[in-house]
Amino acid sequence: MIGMSASRLWNRIFIGLALAVLAYAVLAPLTSLSAAQSLNVPLLTDRLWFRIATIIAMFVVMATAWNIIGGLTGYAAFGNVAFFGIGAYTTGMLIAKAKWPFLLALPLSPVAAAAFAALVGLPLLRLRGHYFAVASLGVGVAVGELVQNIDYQGQPMFGGASGLFLPIFSIGDRGLFFFYLMLGAAAISIAVTWLVLRSRFGYGLIAIRENEEAAAVIGVNTTAYKVAAYALSAALTGLAGGIFSQWNVFINQENAFPIEYNVQMILMALLGGTGTVFGPAAGAVVLQLLIQFLSGTLPVTLSLPFVPSDAMPVIAQIILGLMLVIVVIFAPRGVIDFFGGRSRLSLAYLRRSLRETSI
Amino acid sequence: MEAAQLELENVTKRFGGVAAVDGVTFSVAKGEILGIIGPNGAGKTTLLNCISGVYRLDGGDIRWQGASISGLAPHKVARLGVGRTFQVVKPFGSMTVRENAAIGSLFGSEQARLAPKAAFKQADSVLELVGLRSKADLPVSALTVPDRKRLEVARAVATRPKLLLLDEVMAGLNHVEIDEALDMVRAVHKTGVTVVLIEHVMRVIVGLCQRAVVLNLGRVLADGEPEVVLRDERVVEAYLGERYAKRLKD
Amino acid sequence: MTDFVQLVIIGLLAGGIYAVVGVGFGLVWGVLNIVNLAHGALVIVGAYLTWQLFTSFGLDPFLTLPLDAVALFALGYLLQRSLINRIVRAPLLFTFLLTFGVNLIAVNILLLIFKSDFRSVTPSYSGQGMELGSVVIPYVPLASLGVSLLVAAALAFVLNRTRAGLAILAVAADRDAAQLVGIDLRHTYAVTFGLGAACAGVAGGLIAMIQAITPTAGEPYTLQAFVVVILGGLGRVSATVVGGLAFGLIEAFAQSIPGSGSVFANAIAFGLMVLVLVTRPQGLLGRLR
Repeated sequence: MIGMSASRLWNRIFIGLALAVLAYAVLAPLTSLSAAQSLNVPLLTDRLWFRIATIIAMFVVMATAWNIIGGLTGYAAFGNVAFFGIGAYTTGMLIAKAKWPFLLALPLSPVAAAAFAALVGLPLLRLRGHYFAVASLGVGVAVGELVQNIDYQGQPMFGGASGLFLPIFSIGDRGLFFFYLMLGAAAISIAVTWLVLRSRFGYGLIAIRENEEAAAVIGVNTTAYKVAAYALSAALTGLAGGIFSQWNVFINQENAFPIEYNVQMILMALLGGTGTVFGPAAGAVVLQLLIQFLSGTLPVTLSLPFVPSDAMPVIAQIILGLMLVIVVIFAPRGVIDFFGGRSRLSLAYLRRSLRETSI
Repeated sequence: MEAAQLELENVTKRFGGVAAVDGVTFSVAKGEILGIIGPNGAGKTTLLNCISGVYRLDGGDIRWQGASISGLAPHKVARLGVGRTFQVVKPFGSMTVRENAAIGSLFGSEQARLAPKAAFKQADSVLELVGLRSKADLPVSALTVPDRKRLEVARAVATRPKLLLLDEVMAGLNHVEIDEALDMVRAVHKTGVTVVLIEHVMRVIVGLCQRAVVLNLGRVLADGEPEVVLRDERVVEAYLGERYAKRLKD
Repeated sequence: MTDFVQLVIIGLLAGGIYAVVGVGFGLVWGVLNIVNLAHGALVIVGAYLTWQLFTSFGLDPFLTLPLDAVALFALGYLLQRSLINRIVRAPLLFTFLLTFGVNLIAVNILLLIFKSDFRSVTPSYSGQGMELGSVVIPYVPLASLGVSLLVAAALAFVLNRTRAGLAILAVAADRDAAQLVGIDLRHTYAVTFGLGAACAGVAGGLIAMIQAITPTAGEPYTLQAFVVVILGGLGRVSATVVGGLAFGLIEAFAQSIPGSGSVFANAIAFGLMVLVLVTRPQGLLGRLR
């Protein structure tokens, strides 16, 4: 350890920390099994724990998925929540209306989301920069509206404003089951990203991001690759949505197409480091914990002097907004850049990135 | 006589009301080194963009190895074996030198398209060809301008093209660097690649090319051996203007 | 027939508001290449300012509009100068996120101050209108349309005839070249954003007279500003005005469709925008860049 450069030391600390958190996340739920309880193993989790952990895992999926189109390919989509909602309603409708079993319905969520992405992606991905971001945002909002309001023969097709209710999935240890399921989806997302990054497909995406014209003339079929990345991103996000619908038992426009998810998943990827395998996941964990903390849903809550408790949610949002502003201004390359050893978090680094982006 | 490898017939490209390329016709034989010269604004880069599929033609046809390629998307043209560089280099900034070279082998023509492992192995030999082997692990940002041009060529060569289009590869290089670049182009040509290069540096055209095509205002002005073409009255007039051309004659 | 005319009237009157909301948004986007996701928040700040002046001092809301403009100009100038200027050279994603953060802060500060109750500005003449045959033209929206067109004209005048305006146009054309001729970039950027915010402020004042306001009521206006600017075409004030009026008309007719036409407002708006982006990206009147 002596003689090791500071950034490599931080790198090791970070990796150690991440592994510890991962081990805790995977193993702690096992203490809630009745088998463990009968052995008098201390209970490390409860319903709140499972709820928060599942939400965090859900965001890991979404942030990692967004990274594929936003971080690797460089097309900053602003409406990926549409795919979450499509996934949620696909599973939801199949279970509620067509009476399919959950595990049979779930695989169709990523399929539906990917198909939709391929469909809208073809025209949308011809747009660049702002226009693509805005158009994808538009699609995201429009899909949510349509799903809520479309009627079929006088009745709301997807449950309308009152939403869609699903039968409760009967299984013992439901909290544990859905947590592991969502964790599995998170693992799949990360694995997919890892595979993409070392494949020809991944190199093609990065080439498109760095210089689309050059990518085209060296033989990358840019249209096909972009649409594929968009569809892949959609599929993973749709999977999270599908799991969510059965887990939450109730879906409507508000919880299946929440617009703030768009910004959150982007921010998470940004915070953790776009273009890396674990960056978005790290960003998701950190940011979601922060959001939960500020919203007062964690056992540990924030209480500021002079602030009445009913004003706390509003104050929390203000703090979140402030953090967003500060992070965006000072840390364009993400936390992983620092922990990955490529730069040192110092005043000089902050000043340098500030200078690079200001006028 | 061998059939031409690349044929341009009456190629026309318009922007608004202006024909940047106007009825250009010439061919390139397999294994040739052809130079395309002409004053600024003559339509040279536009012509290259037409050949590589970046622009759609407004008229005429381009045939590669007998089959028409006008209207094909750039990546399809690349797959058929036509590689190119850009006048203002377009490296993949976040990758290393080796990765930039390797990515050409990952995609490119039918002879390229290797799996990642093989592509990376290939990369080193391509870098050797252009003289960047020792800098393989550096990030692109650490390269000088001449080196970036080499990298641009390396990436194009890695696609295993049958025809290589070079757009002002010598621009901004000093005498020594030009000599090195000439060696590099000769080395690439030796591997059996047909080369078409746009250049302003006459020393390169005369020293390297077997044939030169002169463009002016979108039209072909002359087509023949470099020494002959450069002495052509109309070519001198196009470059230097009427008055100077007259002065030289007297 | 009278139904048709009434719809056209409704559409144009609504379109006036959309136009003035869009004009400020489009200025900042077109010149600074900044998509301001906090635009709706600026509109609502203007609305609350008008409400406060009306409620505390009895000022006629139309008289508060210049005050809205000045106050929001100052706020916008400060925002740009202190925060947004710092990420101008960063990838566009960052301006999205930064302005989103500003939006979050602004809306929630308003929530702290004003709570989420609905408030409205109702001067003595609100609700009245003139009748031409069987068509009704309400006074307040009519005057609002007039104000909107006035604001757009004033903005166009400032851009084309004043030194500050020409500096803005220069910066829009070529940022670096503008610096070379001695234009203070930071100041000009801030003035541009300030002007955009001032337009938003006036829009807010008008909106306060037409609908009930609450801190989160600004969100839809940001989204609608997008649509208006893209519909009309980025780059010219007149184009955005046309976009606003067109959007107002489209919305009026869409809402009149029997059934749940009105509920699909957002979906129609965005569907339209995506359609325009994909088929005619320069909008109805814009020039292709």
